[in-house]
Amino acid sequence: MTSVTSTPSRRFNAARWRATPGPFKVGAIILAAHALFAIVGAVWTPYGYAEMGAGLPLSGLSWGHPMGLDQIGRDVFSRFMHGAHIVLLLSFAGTILGMVAGTTLGLLSGYVGGWFDAVTQRVVEAMISIPFLALALVMIIAAGPALAGAPVLIVFVVGLVYAPRITRIARAAAMEIATREYVAVAELRGEGTWSIVFREILPNAANVLLVEFSLRLSYAPILIGALGFLGFGIRPPTPEWGLMISENRNLLIASPVTVFGPGLGLASLVIGFNLFTDGLSRMLGQRPVAGA
Amino acid sequence: MKKLIEVRNLNIAYGSAAGWTNVVQGVSFEIARGEAFGLVGESGCGKSTVAYRLLGYGTINSLVQTGEVIFDGIDLLKLDATALTRLRGSRIALVPQNPTTSLSPGMRVGTQIREMIATHRALPPGMAMETRIVELFALVGLPDVGHRYPHELSGGQQQRVTIAMAVACNPDLLVLDEPTTGLDVTTQRQIIQLLADLRARIGMAMLYVTHDLALLAQIADRVGVMYAGQLVEVAPCETLLAAPAHPYSRGLIASIPTMDGAAQPGQGLRGVLRRDQMSTGCKFEPRCDFAAAACRTTPQALEPVTGARTVACMRWREAVAPHVPVLVKREDKKTAEVPKRVLSVADLALSYTRPSLFDRLLGRSSPAVVRDIDLDLRAGEVVALVGESGSGKSTIARAISGRLPPRAGIISLDGAALAPALKDRSVEELRQIQYIFQNPDASLNPRRRIRAILARPVDHFGIEVDDKALETVLDNVGLHAGYLDRFPEQLSGGERQRIAIARALLVNPKLLICDEILSALDVSVQARIVELLRSLKEKHAVAMLFISHDLAVVQEFADRVAVLYRGELMQLADTATLLSEPLHPYTEMLLEAAPSLRKDHYVSRPPAVPNSKAAQGVGCPLAGRCPRQIGSLCAETRPPLQTTGNGFVRCHLGVEALPVHSTPTDARDPSVQKVSSQRSL
Repeated sequence: MTSVTSTPSRRFNAARWRATPGPFKVGAIILAAHALFAIVGAVWTPYGYAEMGAGLPLSGLSWGHPMGLDQIGRDVFSRFMHGAHIVLLLSFAGTILGMVAGTTLGLLSGYVGGWFDAVTQRVVEAMISIPFLALALVMIIAAGPALAGAPVLIVFVVGLVYAPRITRIARAAAMEIATREYVAVAELRGEGTWSIVFREILPNAANVLLVEFSLRLSYAPILIGALGFLGFGIRPPTPEWGLMISENRNLLIASPVTVFGPGLGLASLVIGFNLFTDGLSRMLGQRPVAGA
Repeated sequence: MKKLIEVRNLNIAYGSAAGWTNVVQGVSFEIARGEAFGLVGESGCGKSTVAYRLLGYGTINSLVQTGEVIFDGIDLLKLDATALTRLRGSRIALVPQNPTTSLSPGMRVGTQIREMIATHRALPPGMAMETRIVELFALVGLPDVGHRYPHELSGGQQQRVTIAMAVACNPDLLVLDEPTTGLDVTTQRQIIQLLADLRARIGMAMLYVTHDLALLAQIADRVGVMYAGQLVEVAPCETLLAAPAHPYSRGLIASIPTMDGAAQPGQGLRGVLRRDQMSTGCKFEPRCDFAAAACRTTPQALEPVTGARTVACMRWREAVAPHVPVLVKREDKKTAEVPKRVLSVADLALSYTRPSLFDRLLGRSSPAVVRDIDLDLRAGEVVALVGESGSGKSTIARAISGRLPPRAGIISLDGAALAPALKDRSVEELRQIQYIFQNPDASLNPRRRIRAILARPVDHFGIEVDDKALETVLDNVGLHAGYLDRFPEQLSGGERQRIAIARALLVNPKLLICDEILSALDVSVQARIVELLRSLKEKHAVAMLFISHDLAVVQEFADRVAVLYRGELMQLADTATLLSEPLHPYTEMLLEAAPSLRKDHYVSRPPAVPNSKAAQGVGCPLAGRCPRQIGSLCAETRPPLQTTGNGFVRCHLGVEALPVHSTPTDARDPSVQKVSSQRSL
C-alpha cells in the first residue's frame, strides 16, 4: 500500500487526542489528576502532615477534616496529600533504576548470547523465582538499620525487584531484533557491541520497553505500599500511603474513613497507570507497518 | 461463453488515521466459465484487494463504497457470513501466496484437506474419504503425503497441497494470489504447468493475480492490467503482449528482462506510483510518455477498441503503434590489459555446524553445505552467482563477507588472504567489501533517518568527505537531498534499495556483494535498479558479486555467470557463451524454465535415472534429477572439472558430448509428463 505519510506534530491537538484509544484517555486523565494533586500536596496542605492535635482524635469525617483524624489527632487528608508526591517519586525513581539496569543487561544478553547470556539468564531466573516481597525484605535486612526507612533504599529495592523482569523482556526483544539485516550491516561494518546495542537495537526495542516501563510503574505503588504496610518502607512520620493504611488499620471499625483515603489513592493510581499502559500499547502496536 | 462472475464498478477505500484512501476505483470485468483471467500490476495497485473481494473478503479497515460482485446471479457483497462460508472453498476457492504460512504447521496435510471436504460435504458419492484425498494428491502430482506435516514438504510441494485443498470441492472459480512468487523458477514452471493441466481437466475458471507478466503469458486467456486501483487495459493475453495499447502496459512489458538478449534502454517505466500525486484526469499521466495536456484533466474510462480489448487511454492509437525494438548490441569493451584481480576464492568449503571435539576425535565430519568453490573477480567485473534457493549462493556471500568462517579454503582480497572471521578483519578490509541485502525493509534501521543511516559508515570508517558527499551519493543513485530527513518507512521499496546501494557506495568499496537485491522489487523498479547498477559499474570500476535466481536479470548486466547447485559450482562461463551454449544439463534446465513473453509450452524434462540419488558429498548433486544422467556413474563418482573456452563445466559428459541437445519434444506424451510432475523436487 502507499503509505500516507504525515509528519507527526509534537503539539497537543484535538484531533490527535480524539484518535487515541479510550483507555489511554481515561488513564491519562487519572494520572494527570494524581500529578496535580501531588504537586499541590508537596507545597501546601491544610494542616501539617505531622502536626498532632489538629482536632479531636478519631472524630470522624467533617468539613474541616474530610478524611477524619487519626489516633494521635493528625489530619489524615493533609497526610494523604503530602504522601502523594512521595509515592509518585519513589515509584518513578525505582522503576527508572530497574529499567536502566534491566534494559542494559537484557539487550546485551540478548544480542551477545553465548555463555554471557546463559549466566545472566540463570541469575535472572533465580531472582524471579524468589517472591518479590521476600527478596525486598532480604535486601532491607541486609542493608542494615542505618539505611532502614531511607528513600534511597526503597528506590534500590524497587529497582532490584524489577530489573530481572525487565531484563527478560529486553532480552526477548533484542534476540528478535538481532536477526534483522540492519544489525548484520552494522556488524559487517565492524561496529562494536555497545554501538550496535544502543544505536541499532535500542531504538527498535523502544516500543516494547516503553510499554514495559509503564506497566512496571503501575505496580510500583503497590510494592512500595506493601513495604510501608509491613513497616519496612519510609520511616514514620513521613506519610507514605501504604504506611498510613498500616497505621490506621486498627481504626477500621472506629473510624473507617482514615483508611479509605490512602486505599482509594493507591487503587486509582494503579488503575490509572494500567489503563494508560493498555492504551499506550494499543497505540504503539497499531503503528502502520512499513511496506505492508 | 456464459459469465461466471462479474465485477461491476467496484470502488473500495481503506481507512486510516488520515482519512479514506481510494484503493480500487471503478473496476469492472467478468470471467467466463472455464476462463483464466489474469490481473497484473505493480505492488500497491489494488489487485489483491480486488481478488479477495471475489471471495467476499476484505480487511477490517476497508470499505466497499459502490459496486457489485455477481457470482452466478448472486451479489457476493450482499451475502451474510453464513452464506459466504458455504460458498467459499466449495464454489470459489483460494490459492494463497505463501503456502508456508497458510498451511497449519501443527496439522498433517491430509487432515487439512479432509477438513475442507468435510466442511462442505463435498465427498463424491460412493467414495471413501481416504481414496478421495489420495486422488487429490495424485491430481496435483504428489504421492500420498497425507500423513506428513507441512514442514516436511518442500515449498513447491506445499503449494501443490494448497492447490489440492483448493480444488478439493471442485470449485467453479479458483482465485490465485501470486501462487508462485516465493518459488524457484523450475518449480514455478511446474506449478503453472499443473494449473494449466488442472484447468483442462476440471474446467474451472481462474483469476490469477500476479506482478509477473511473463508467467501470466503461460496460462491466462485474458489479462487485465491495473494501475493505481483502476483497470487500464483488458485484452486477450497474446494481443496484450504483442501490442500493448495502454502506455502503462507497454512500459510494464518493456521493463521485463527477457532471455532474448535484446537490451531495451529507455523503454521501461519512469517514476513510481505515488498515490498522493494523482491528477484529476488519467492516473498514469505523471509517468506517461504519451501524455498530452488534456490527459491531466480528463478522467479515462475503459473503452472498447478493436479485437476484444478495452483500453482506458485517449491516446492508445499512438501507444499501440508497434515500436521497433532497438537492439542495442552490447558493445564488448574487450581491452587488452586484464584488470587487476580483486577477489579470489580458492577451494572454499562451508558448513553451518562446527565439528564438535568428539566428532573430531572420531574423525567424523558433517557434510559441507558448500564445497570446492573457486571464483575470481576482477576490478570492474560483474560475476553472477545463479542457482535455486538452498543452493548455497548466500552462504558463499556470507563467507566472503566474513559472517560465516569457512571450514576450508582461502578468500583473498587484492592478493592478501582475508581472516576467516569478521572480528579478525581490519577496518580497511571491512570497508572494501560492502554487502547489499535482499530486503531493503530489513537492512535499513527503521528508527533512523536516512541522513544518520548514510552518515554512520562514513563516521565509522573515518572517511574524509565534504559536506556535499551525502547529497552527491544520493544524486548518484537517482534520489535527491530531500530524502535525507526522511525515515525508511516513508520511502518506497525501490527508493529504500537505492539508499542501501548509496550506503555501500559511499565508502568506496572494491567489492560489492549484491545478495538478491532485486527480488523484493517490482519489475519496473528492478529495471531501473539494473540500469543504475550498470552505470555505477562503469563509473566506479567496482567489482560486483551479483547473486540472483533470475537468469533473465543476470544476462542484462553480468560479465560472467557461475551456476551453483546444492553447494557446487556446476558451470562458470561468460554470460553470452552460457546463454547461447548452456553445455551443463542443469544450466539447460534453468534456461528452459525461464518464462519468455509468449506461450512457450514448457514441459519439464524427466530425469534420466530418477531413482539414483547421489552419495552425499561424493557424486554429482544433480544425479536423480538430471535429464542426461549416464547411469549410476554420476551418483557414485565425482564429476571431473572440464575446462571450456572461458570457464569450466563440472559434468561426467564430455565437453564434446554436452552441446548435443536432447530436445524436450520426446517428453510430450502424457505418461512421461505425469512421471515428471510426480518426480518434481
